[in-house]
Formats: sequence, C-alpha cells, structure tokens
Amino acid sequence: MASPKTVPKDAQVMMQILKDMGITEYEPRVINQMLEFTYRYVTTIIEDAKIYSTHAKKSTVDADDIRLAIQCRVDQSFTSPPPRDFLLDIARQKNQTPLPLIKPYTGPRLPPDRYCLTAPNYRLKSLQKKVSSSAGRITVPRLSVGAVSSRPSTPTLGTPSVQTVGTKVGTPVSLTGQRFTVQIPSSQAASVKSATPTTPTVQNVLINPSLIGSKNILITTNMVSQNSSSDSTSLKRKHEDEDDYDAL
Amino acid sequence: MAAVQDGPMELDAEKETKPEILSDGTSNLSGNTASGTMSSSPLTAAPAGGAPKMEDQQTLIAVLQFLKRNKLMESVDILRREAGLGEDQEDSQALDGSGGVKGDGDGGDTNSLLSRVSMASAAAPQSTLTPMPAKSANDQPDVSVVLSAYSQQGDPSLYKVYYSDLKNFIESVLDCHRAELSQLFYPLFVHMYLELVYNNNENEAKAFFEKFSGDQECYYQDDLRVLCGLSKKEHLKGNEALLDFRTSRFVLRISRDSYQLLKRHLQERHNNQIWNIIQEHLYIDIFDGMPRSKSQIDSMSGSLAGEARREVNKVKVFYGLLKEPEIEVPLDDEDDEAENEEGKPKKKKTKKDSMGSKSKKQDPNAPQQNRIPLPELKDSDKLDKIMYMKESTKRIRLGPENLPSICFYTFLNAYQGLTAVDFTDDSSLLAGGFADSTVRVWSVTPKKLRKVKSAAELNLIDKESDDVLERIMDEKTASESKILYGHSGPVYGVSFSPDRNYLLSSSEDSTIRLWSLQTFTCLVGYKGHNYPVWDTQFSPFGYYFVSGGHDRVARLWATDHYQPLRIFAGHLADVTCTRFHPNSNYVATGSTDRTVRLWDVLNGNCVRIFTGHKGPIHSLAFSPNGKFLASGSTDGRVLLWDIGHGLMIGELKGHTDTIYALKFSRDGEILASGSMDNTVRLWDSLKAFDDVETDDFTATTGHIHLPDNSQELLLGTYHSKSTPVTHLHFTRRNLLLAAGAYNSQ
Repeated sequence: MASPKTVPKDAQVMMQILKDMGITEYEPRVINQMLEFTYRYVTTIIEDAKIYSTHAKKSTVDADDIRLAIQCRVDQSFTSPPPRDFLLDIARQKNQTPLPLIKPYTGPRLPPDRYCLTAPNYRLKSLQKKVSSSAGRITVPRLSVGAVSSRPSTPTLGTPSVQTVGTKVGTPVSLTGQRFTVQIPSSQAASVKSATPTTPTVQNVLINPSLIGSKNILITTNMVSQNSSSDSTSLKRKHEDEDDYDAL
Repeated sequence: MAAVQDGPMELDAEKETKPEILSDGTSNLSGNTASGTMSSSPLTAAPAGGAPKMEDQQTLIAVLQFLKRNKLMESVDILRREAGLGEDQEDSQALDGSGGVKGDGDGGDTNSLLSRVSMASAAAPQSTLTPMPAKSANDQPDVSVVLSAYSQQGDPSLYKVYYSDLKNFIESVLDCHRAELSQLFYPLFVHMYLELVYNNNENEAKAFFEKFSGDQECYYQDDLRVLCGLSKKEHLKGNEALLDFRTSRFVLRISRDSYQLLKRHLQERHNNQIWNIIQEHLYIDIFDGMPRSKSQIDSMSGSLAGEARREVNKVKVFYGLLKEPEIEVPLDDEDDEAENEEGKPKKKKTKKDSMGSKSKKQDPNAPQQNRIPLPELKDSDKLDKIMYMKESTKRIRLGPENLPSICFYTFLNAYQGLTAVDFTDDSSLLAGGFADSTVRVWSVTPKKLRKVKSAAELNLIDKESDDVLERIMDEKTASESKILYGHSGPVYGVSFSPDRNYLLSSSEDSTIRLWSLQTFTCLVGYKGHNYPVWDTQFSPFGYYFVSGGHDRVARLWATDHYQPLRIFAGHLADVTCTRFHPNSNYVATGSTDRTVRLWDVLNGNCVRIFTGHKGPIHSLAFSPNGKFLASGSTDGRVLLWDIGHGLMIGELKGHTDTIYALKFSRDGEILASGSMDNTVRLWDSLKAFDDVETDDFTATTGHIHLPDNSQELLLGTYHSKSTPVTHLHFTRRNLLLAAGAYNSQ
C-alpha cells in the first residue's frame, strides 16, 4: 500500500471512501480502477451537460443540465435488473405452460440449428478463372467437423497450390441451398503447367463474417483436395491473399 | 388530532368504496359521487381556494387514473369537468409520478394506493406495485389520507421521538416478550429512514441514522452500511434491493400475547406513525404459543425480508427418490446383452440387481415417475449404471471412525482466476472455469482426452470394424487437457452432464454455453439472463439444467429449447447458487438476500423458504436420500434443513470464512465443507439428522431449539497451506476430491 504522503489527493479521497464503505481489504489497483471510472463518468456527464446547455442557449452549465445529463445516461450505462413485480409476472406466464414431452431416440438433443453455433461461419469463394488441368477431379477444400465455430479467423494453411477442374464446382450433394465455391489463387492458376499430384493441401478459405451461424448444417461430405502443384512460395501466397479479396 | 381508531376505519371505508366503483360500471354517477365523497374534502377546499393545491391535485389525478384503468370513461369525464382539470395536466403528472420506472408505469399511483388499502395478507400477488417507494400514510384526518401519493408522514423531526418511545416501551415489557418485540427495531428503523430520505429530509435522516443505527443487531451491519451511503432520493432509484425491500413486506413472527401488548400500546398513543408503518410495510405472522427466546429468533432471522410465513412452508414436497430402473448385473463382465429392465428374468446365469427390487410399492414421499418428463435411458446410460453399481459395491463405508481420505487438486498459476470447478460423477474429468473467460477440461485418469476426427478422416476409417468407436477418435491431438474458448467474460459456473457428453458453462457475459466433450467445441449459447449468470447445474438425469444470475431469477432450461422452460422469480437479490434435488423435481436456490428457496419444477412455485443465514449463500448440497439440504454462506456457518417439514435442524459452526463447497458422501453419512479459510471440515451428518428424528417437532410454530453441538459433530479439520477450497467431490468409492487454486499471497 503506497504511503499516504506520496499518493495524490484524489487517490487519498478514494481510499477514504472505500474505508467509509467498510471495505478494508483490496488490491492496490482497485484505487486506480475506481479513479479511472470516476474520471470517465464525470467527464462524460459534464460533456453531455455542456451540449445540453449550449442547445438551450445558456451561457453556463447549471444544475439542471447536469441533472438531465445524468438522467439520460443512467438508462444506457447503469441498467439494473427488472423490478420484482415484472419478473413475477413473466414468471407466472412462463410457468403456466406444461413441460414439453421429450421425444425418444433423437440423438443429441439440441435446439433448432439456427439457434446453435454449429453452422460454418465462412463461405467459400467461387472460382473466377477457369483453369485447365487434369480431368475429372474436383477440388474442394477440406473441412473439418465443428472446427469452425469458435474462432473467426482467416486461416490460410499450407501452401496453396490447387487446381480446379473444368467443371464448375457447384453445390455438393449433401448441402441444399448452399453455394460452395472454391477459390483459386489466380497467379497460381497461371503458373500451373501440369498436374503433378503432390500431397494434398488446403486451400485459401475466405471467412465471411456475415454468414456466421446463418447457414445450415455441418458439412458432412469428405472433400479432399487432389492435384496440387507445389510452385508457390510463401511470398506468392501473400499476393494471393490480396487477389482473393479483390476478386471478391 | 383524530384518534387512532379513525385511521383503520377510514381505510376500511376506502376499501368498500373502491369495490363499489369496480362492480358498478353502469351507474357512473353514483360511482362518481362515491369517489367524490371520499375526495370531496380536499375538493371542497379546492374550488373555494381557487386553484387546487398540489396534494389535492395529485389526489384527483390518482382517482382519475384509477377510473381510467377500470375503463369508467364517463366517470372520468364527469370528474374531470367538475374538478376543472385539463387532460394534459393529468398526463404530465402521471409522467412525473412514474418517471424513471421500467415496466408498467400505468396506473402506478393507484396501484400503490390500492395495495396500501388492502391490509390483508394477500399482499404478495398484489405486487403490481411499481417499484416506487410506497407512499407514506398521512395521519392528518382532514385530507383523505390514502389517496394522496406523496404526502409527508408527520413531522420529520418527530421520527426520533417516535422511535425512542417505542424503544422505551419495548425495554419495559416482560423479558419473554422483549425478545420478540425487538424484532421490530430493524425493519422500522429502515423504513423510517427511507421515508425521511424519500421526502428529502436529508439532515433529519442522517441524524436519525446516527442515533439509532448502533442499536441494531450485528448481522445487519452490512445492510446498514449500504443504507448509510444513501442520503438522497436519487440514490434510491438505482438500488434494486432497497426498492424491493420497500415493496415487499418484511415478515415477523410474533406470538399472540406479545402482539396484543404492542397493539395496545401503539393504539393508546396518539401518534400512530409507527402503527401505520407496521400496517403498511410489515407482515406480522401471529402464532399462538410460547414467545420465542432470543436465540431462537436470532437463528431464524437475518434475511432481507424477515422470516418466512408459516403457510409458505406447508406445501407438500415430494422429497423421495425416483425408483431406479432394474437392470440385471451380469456375472460375466463381457456379457452386456444380459441386461433387462423392470426385472424380467432372461437368463438364469445373471444376478438380479437388488437395488430396485426392495420397494415394490411407491414411496409416499417420492414423486411419480412421470411427474416431470425425463429422458429415457439409452444403452450407454444403462452401461453407465452398471458401472456405477459395480463401483458402489466397492465403496468404503464412512463414519466417525472411518474418515475419508482427501485428495486435493491444486490449480497452479491461476493468478486468482479460478472461478468454477466441476468433476464428472465417475471422477474421470475435471473442468475449471476461469476469469479470463476460458474453460479448461483435464483428464484425471491416465486416459487422454481425444476428440472426434474431422470429416475428411472419418471417411477413411472402416465403419464395420468392431472398435469403430475408438477409431473415430483422433489420436494425433490427444492431450491431457483441452481449452474451450468462447465466452466473453469470466466463467462463474461449470457443470458436466451425467452422461459425460456435454459441459455447461455460465459466465458474466450473461450466456450459458453448451460444449460437446466429443468434439470439444461449443454447440449452443443460451441467452436469457441479461446479467451475469452466477451458477448453473445439469439435472441428475441430464437434459434439463438450471441457472441463476444477477437478475434475481433462476431459469430452468432443456438442452433442446433455446428459451427457458421455467422462471423461478421471488428472490430479492441475486441468485448465487442453484442445485437440483436428486429426483430432479425440485430446484434449490441460494441467494444474496440470505434465503434459500426450494422450487417445484413442474409448476414453478416456491415451495419452501429457509431463512437464518446472515450472509449471502454460496453453496448448497442435497443429501443423497433427498430429505435434507445443507447450505453454506459468507458467515461461515453451515445450516441443515429438513425439507419435508420445512425446518432448520442443525447449525454447524467452525469455519471462519465463506463456504464455497459443500458435499455429502455417497451414502450421506458425512458432510464435507470447504471454505476460503483454506480448510476442509468433515461433519457427522448421520448424527445431526438422527438427533432431529427423535425430537418432536413443534410443527405448527416451526420453532426448534437447536442444540449447540457443532463441536461434537465436527469430525476433522484439514488445512491446506494457502489454497482456498473451491469444490468438493466424493468419488463413487467415497474418496474425497477437493479442488482449489493456489493463492501465493
């Protein structure tokens, strides 16, 4: 605990307030937190009051302005739980409906999908340029079950070196109404000469925040990327990122 | 000065007129005159004196609002014309009066008036009171007392005199009555202080406070400190607990003799101030019998709303356990097919499970099997049950001679951030909720945590193989612990589901998240509380879970509904602890208002209120047989309650700091409690409950004289160096596991 002599006056006042309210044990940073809060709150109120007083064409800020400022702010920042009678009322309403019966044998009992967090929170971009390569293989990104839910990020994993095929990647069978597109790094596409099958890698995937939690179900099909070429370097990858965004 | 008797009579007359107005919609004129006569006294003054005075105008407006609410439009017009009031005046007045009130501000004045008029004990449902502090009754006879909304209660400087008078009187009565009547001091003190503050008599309020706050009981000191900080009317508006205090009635239990004494004394005196407050704000539950002693009163008092009314605790509670489904335990471990339900014999080799077959007829205290819908047992659940029964045969029987060993799991480097802990029932997994909003799951056994493989890999495995359930697990990312990210605030409650598939966590960000323990990802976020959720727990059968938070309600959810199924409202302050009864039909909630309430899941009613703690309650535990409940709070005491009778049956003193962990052993013989004072204490619960069985309950009055036998019941105290105990768990074989975060200071 800092000695009272070296502590600024405001902090001394705060220590005294805490003592008056009966709080004897607290970490030293509590004083700073409380002071910060005080400054912020008072500044906000006084600024608001200044605005109100200029609006009312008064020359100085007076108590009414402050009162009005406090009133307007109190509902925004310091909300308190609803009053007891209101709670009793809604509780009465809610408790009247009987408990719903439980359907047997339904697997994991979860709410309808739009209330769950299990949907993919990204969408794959459609390919912009047709790339010719070896026939017949559809390349689609590899997706893992459930891994998308919690972290919004834009992973670009591995070396992107994918091709697609002449056929446009349309909607995979298992997903209705969902547009799936693969995004191809355009520079990559240009540099591909021959399809040399190498290790399967993962493609760029764009995460579209607007789609988080809004589309249907998990992706259940297994999609493995085939055909890859390994020309890209990490530098090129950065290029591709920008291209990807532009192409969108 | 009008005699006191006029007061109640006037109120009675008021009550009669109001029903007349209500029922008599058609005869507007008569209705009008009826209300007119009551308010005629101020009204007659009004036209004579020109513009009506402030108080009278408010009276008129209150009446107008009441009539409007009951759709007596013609009366409204007539009254308005006669009184000469403009419509905008009335509206602005209404706005003023209900300014800053959430919820229904409609007819707020009249509601408060109505509720003041009806002195009967059916006050609780009439909490259509808006949360404005109730208006004080005016004891001046010429103005119609009840209708005036903001009138002054007598002379503020005389409050001190009234209070001292009462104090002198109570000190002069017989000893046996004094203890009971002293219960009056605290609520009266608070109400009078709030009156003074509300009517802007700041100086008198401060003087009043200084003079009399020292007399109050020690366990009210925290509340008094909060009160001390409130010296202006504006301060009252934000303080929810106080507003609730004003609107809910403080319950006092007083014997008939003492009550008669008090009544006689107060009615003799002409200043019926205190009598008014008593009638308005206090509910006196009168019982016939011996007055209670000071220690009895002290043990039951302490909550924010006084004690519980007797009829509240009279509802029948089904505290028995549900019947276990009969499952045949195969002699041969590999032979899983031999299990059957309901005791149908299949193979002669199998041994019949004796647990369920004992009680063929229904236990009268147990609820029906289908009272609330419960999920049916799946095959995996049946396997679990078999494991459970096998383990329980190896269980150690505990007792005073045979204390359990304690295994303490210390969280290192948690930097005081560990806020919640839970173990699975078979003690294989441990989850910790932290202040940095993460939830971490550890495996307690050597078996590592594995998650299900990704869809790509799942396609490659052989689905027909026998060990497909192992093959779907990803070996590459197996680890001792997994971290779950998702919350945006400290995690205050965690709970495993009984089938170990799900984990629930509740947080300060006001959501409850359901995590899958097979993929270690978040499945659902349940939004409903708009304020921090302090605790959550899965039901012992899975599917349902309960949560309690800062919004003073507890909610019952089912995993497949995005909205709660039941809302348990009634507490006056935050709900800090929520626990299911072993039969899943009842939920116990402990709160900061120092009461424990028991709620019925079927219809959401509060079936028991237990008062007696002197601090917020942070831990609850049901005994395995379902009959008893133990609660621990910040005052360091553990209280034991008999659910069936609704009585306190034991008090365990010994801890010196908040008790955050309470657990009964698997057969209920030992109660373990862990607290912030770095100790785990073991108590002999069999003895504590036995003593009760032999006594005869004074069931009508509910007053138990508790023997002070905490020392005899204490079986052992175990100190950790500096690790407060956050959670306790008895394994299936009765080994005690404890968890806490090392506190280096």
